[in-house]
Amino acid sequence: MVTALPPRTAAAPTTVPVTGLRHRSWALAARFDRELGDPCDEATVFSYEHAIRLDRTETFPDEICAALNTWGLAHYYVPAAYGGALDDFQDLQMLIRTAARRDLTTTIAHGKTFLGSLPVWVGADAATAARLGGLVRAGARVSLGLTERTHGSDIMAGELTAEPQGRGYRLNGEKWLINNATRGRLITLLARTSPAGGPRGFSALLVDKDDLPAQAWQCLPKVHTHGVRGADISGITLHDALVGPQTLIGTEGSGAELMMKSLQVSRALCPSLSLGAADQALRLAVRFSRGRELYGRHLADLPLTRRTLAEGFADLLLCEAVSTVAVRSIHALPSELSVTAAAVKYLVPSLVDGVIDRLGSLLGARSVLGQQYAHGMYQKIARDHRIVGIFDGNSLVNQYALVSQFRSLARAYLGPDDHRPGLAMLFDLERTLPRFAAEGLALVSRYGSSILGTLPGSVARLSAMADRAPALAGAARRAQQLGDAASELHRRMRRVAPTVADASAECFTEARRYALCLAGAACLGLWLHSNEAAEAECSSGELWRDGLWLHASLRRILARLGMQDGQDGQDAAADDGVFDELYERLVAHYQQGFLFSLLPCPIAEGPPSC
Amino acid sequence: MVVSGTSPQEREFRSWLLERLGQYLRRSVEEIDTGVPFAEYGLDSVAALSLFGDIEDDFGLYLEPTVAWDYPTVDSLARHLAAECVRRVTGPLGEER
Amino acid sequence: MLKHTTCVGTAGPDAPEARVAALEALFGDPGDPDNPFGEAAVLAADERAELIPEAEAALARFGLNQEFIPLELGGRLDRIDTLARVLRPVFRRDASLGLGYGVTSFLAAVAVWVAGTPQQRRWTADLLLSGGRLAIAYHELAHGNDFVRNEFAAVPQQDDGNGGGTAGFRLDGRKEVINNATRAEAMVLFSRTSPAPGSRSHSVLLIDKSRLPRDRFSHLPRYETTGVRGCPIGGFDFRDCPVPADALVGAAGQGVELALRSFQITRSAVPGMVLGGGDTALRTVVGFAVERQLYGRSVFDIPHVRATVAGAFVDLLICDSLALVGTRAVHLLPEQTSVYAAVVKYLVPKLLQEATYDLSIVLGANFYVRDGAYGVFQKHVRDLPMTSLGHAGTAACQATIIPQLPRLARNSWLSGGEEPPQALFRIHDDLPPLDTGRLTLAASDDGLAASLVATTAWLDSYGSGDPVGTLREMARALVDELRALRERCLDMRPQDRTALASPEAYALADRYALVLAGAACLGVWRAQRHDEPGFIAGPVWTTAALARICKRLGLPVPERAAEETAGLLPEVLERFHDRRSYDLYDTPLTGVTHGG
Repeated sequence: MVTALPPRTAAAPTTVPVTGLRHRSWALAARFDRELGDPCDEATVFSYEHAIRLDRTETFPDEICAALNTWGLAHYYVPAAYGGALDDFQDLQMLIRTAARRDLTTTIAHGKTFLGSLPVWVGADAATAARLGGLVRAGARVSLGLTERTHGSDIMAGELTAEPQGRGYRLNGEKWLINNATRGRLITLLARTSPAGGPRGFSALLVDKDDLPAQAWQCLPKVHTHGVRGADISGITLHDALVGPQTLIGTEGSGAELMMKSLQVSRALCPSLSLGAADQALRLAVRFSRGRELYGRHLADLPLTRRTLAEGFADLLLCEAVSTVAVRSIHALPSELSVTAAAVKYLVPSLVDGVIDRLGSLLGARSVLGQQYAHGMYQKIARDHRIVGIFDGNSLVNQYALVSQFRSLARAYLGPDDHRPGLAMLFDLERTLPRFAAEGLALVSRYGSSILGTLPGSVARLSAMADRAPALAGAARRAQQLGDAASELHRRMRRVAPTVADASAECFTEARRYALCLAGAACLGLWLHSNEAAEAECSSGELWRDGLWLHASLRRILARLGMQDGQDGQDAAADDGVFDELYERLVAHYQQGFLFSLLPCPIAEGPPSC
Repeated sequence: MVVSGTSPQEREFRSWLLERLGQYLRRSVEEIDTGVPFAEYGLDSVAALSLFGDIEDDFGLYLEPTVAWDYPTVDSLARHLAAECVRRVTGPLGEER
Repeated sequence: MLKHTTCVGTAGPDAPEARVAALEALFGDPGDPDNPFGEAAVLAADERAELIPEAEAALARFGLNQEFIPLELGGRLDRIDTLARVLRPVFRRDASLGLGYGVTSFLAAVAVWVAGTPQQRRWTADLLLSGGRLAIAYHELAHGNDFVRNEFAAVPQQDDGNGGGTAGFRLDGRKEVINNATRAEAMVLFSRTSPAPGSRSHSVLLIDKSRLPRDRFSHLPRYETTGVRGCPIGGFDFRDCPVPADALVGAAGQGVELALRSFQITRSAVPGMVLGGGDTALRTVVGFAVERQLYGRSVFDIPHVRATVAGAFVDLLICDSLALVGTRAVHLLPEQTSVYAAVVKYLVPKLLQEATYDLSIVLGANFYVRDGAYGVFQKHVRDLPMTSLGHAGTAACQATIIPQLPRLARNSWLSGGEEPPQALFRIHDDLPPLDTGRLTLAASDDGLAASLVATTAWLDSYGSGDPVGTLREMARALVDELRALRERCLDMRPQDRTALASPEAYALADRYALVLAGAACLGVWRAQRHDEPGFIAGPVWTTAALARICKRLGLPVPERAAEETAGLLPEVLERFHDRRSYDLYDTPLTGVTHGG
């Protein structure tokens, strides 16, 4: 059962003892998970079984959300400046990831309040933000009203209008496919404040339904969805709803810019949902393969099974690495978040969709049964997770965000880097991050991607290390190949015809390659800057030793960049050894009851039993 | 289309912008009305954000990415750019990096 | 055996075209909300987890079961390619209905057609002719695809007379996740019949449920599944249950061989049916793209969308070419189908699944909504994986392909492989009767690979110039790939031919499957090119198909080939507006045409 404990406030000093690299956000996640109770125990409010039961009846997870509120999760949605506990986005990343590994539906249903509040944290005056902070901490739900019925991801085609009325506005129109549109008390709306529309024709408004007369608004019926079936995905219609001037977030006409900046932050955090889902999928697959006999052996004894599982683990770790760098960059590199967040929001959900699909074929019939295996959890993850690639800016929107910056990204790649910030802080997991400053966000990055810009230097540094430590030679060769691929890519990007509005299909493929290269650069940066401390850690240090996870991650990235399997004998043999070793690490994490993560984080159920 | 009463600099920006937009939108320069918002020709708001980088490259003008949002036509943007040039020459030092 | 002396005619009311048209007419306009078999009704039934009862009745009136019964037993089954073709409209509307009404009856019956006694064949045919059903129980949940190690036991009973013969079997164990388990009158069951290790310890039994003692046999509760939710999937529980001796199909201990031979027919046929679902998925997305506006233009005008749609269409044509060759090979090259059937069953669902994923991105959030104009798409996403489970699963097919590769590499590829008859690739030509006695467990030759080499040589003599030049370039690349595969397969380690195969061996099987897909496309184009000038006779689709395949193989794709893909868009739109199927047959579909 959930124990009510006061949440750690931002001011409280960290109480986690530091030996080797024990990150406070991972420690927070472990405590959160422990205090939520064993998810295998059906008496726990936030249990696997409960989540499945709600999904089957398409029921909103009220009771679980209440438990999360009791724990104080909503405090982490509110910046410390406005009375909350959010001072490091890594905390939020790990909390979301931890909740998501139990159930995506609940995590999304609860976490949407953060997305709805974010434009206020980014763009509102302090008084409005403090007022909202109080409401959110008290458990009020806030939804984000961006999309409309026929406009989908094209938010600047929105038709909901806010006409000036007195000192405030008169609202008319509809928002649809909105999480918590019905159950939310507040809703952040993007409304057309100039009939002509255009990028300066929209404003963001924070509307409190409690302030509106009953006839001014109406909720639309729940939409029946492929996954997250228990969630409240619905819509809202406003009829001549009069709101005061205090509902305006920021200035009139700044809505589109504000939303785009807020979305950069949320898109950096969305992959946390994917990491949680991938953990659950991988845990089920490992459990299944170890429990099952085939040809007189365990399924897990078959080389293909081990490789499939190890590659799934490598994919998860590379997603974790790039997501972590993206989340750290909210603090340390906000000026480039338009690139970084678009890359991870596109890449991580699509990679994890692939992982879930591949591991599902290992489970065979069990991956599609509604109840008979592990309560039917696997099929639920597969359905639920598809939403992560869709909401908060779908794949195409994020790929396009990269494509539209191709020329400046290419220009800046090998340009002088004197204007670039030092990135040691970004990559060094031991370093404390600076306070998040919304003023640092920019709609596009002026100097390309500093993260990808570190790649040539990182490749050289790893090569130099490999000269002294031969165990790193394999990883160094793979890094070199990635460096070559990235150079080629940037050469092609520079040649892209300047017809951004009509981006070719090939550009979208290049955007995928770009995101993969950026992920590789993040992996390299993270390993180079954090390896020394992380390797000293007893329970997950072996993942870092000799560049194990780095090598495997680079191999997975290169495979997706088109490098063929097994055509280069020596390197292929080295890769085989790496994945064999990684499989052992995977099993160790599984047996010890640890999150599948680069850093140690025990999970509530402990060693496998259910 | 050359509007009388504009400075040479503004005319230079206008023809540069027309040429750029023609490339972006795969339209001939004659097709583009300098008083009509870029969006009407299919330059979406995300794409419009990339204009500032071209301006910086070609003219060394350091601008906000949203410049094409705030001045959404060829005429208004050209006028703004010309004014910016004047301001930078006469304005306080240290404005540019 | 399924053997008869004459080919049936291809005209008249029994012609395949007429049967397809009759099914199309039976189902009616998919977009009509009042159509009891329209998409809205299909989605509603799926939500209720049931098959539309009236649709089952209508299929019974059509006599769908006759499609599963050989001609000489009173059915209409004479060609496997036709079987896939006739079932395709059913899957285009609703995969649950396809599987649930019936296809599993065929999957079960094949073993009886292949090895049953005249009495068993007659009894099975009569059961199906009267509207009955057969369940197929080849694997159980705890053992999945590994049916050879299956622990379900049927213990032969000694005759208590003095003849020393068997007096039937005693069955003990469960058979789980069985479609139509409860409502089927009979089942074809695969079981261990001897405790000895090896491949001669299993048998196939044809069991009439009405002859089982009620206290020894019961049904398991229904399983809920994510896909084909309407199918009543259940299972059997035998408790020391006696089964008469005449249940044995074929000889005792012949089960593995019989199963593997039966699979050559079923694995070839099912992908060609399932393609219908891919048609609906693509059609739904094309409809969305032409109707919707985004960023001030039609979604269909967005280059990335056009490329995704064209790519999915090409994938459907690749899949259909493979399915066509696979089903015709059963008649023409039965000695080689053990590997082809597995390749078809391995690659087609994989390509369909990937195309579906790409298409889902175009739908964006609309993909996630279970009802409304695009709701059928998510149903297809859920249904598709269900057709790749069990004994026909990916792993089972890979396990069939890999051990055969070294022998084919040595005896056939680029050295002595015999070119197959052009009829293998002809969409509408007659076929010799099926002779199941010629189906063997290991392919002796690889005619399809030989056709790749021959077609490439023929392209060399075709004269230069685009677009055939582009095609030739890619065909040569595929031949080079086959050559590289040959080297690597000759070097394959012995343990790679077992379940302990390395990931590299699986990668070889994947590349081989793609090379065969390219060979199938080239063969289909070449064999059709003298037909009346039409889409399939032209080189545009083949060029696009080879480009897709080369890209998957990581081979360089000539830049001109990418332009060919764009050349497919008018065809995609035309088939959408005129309502014609997205496959090689280009079949007219019912429903309201969209003008132009």
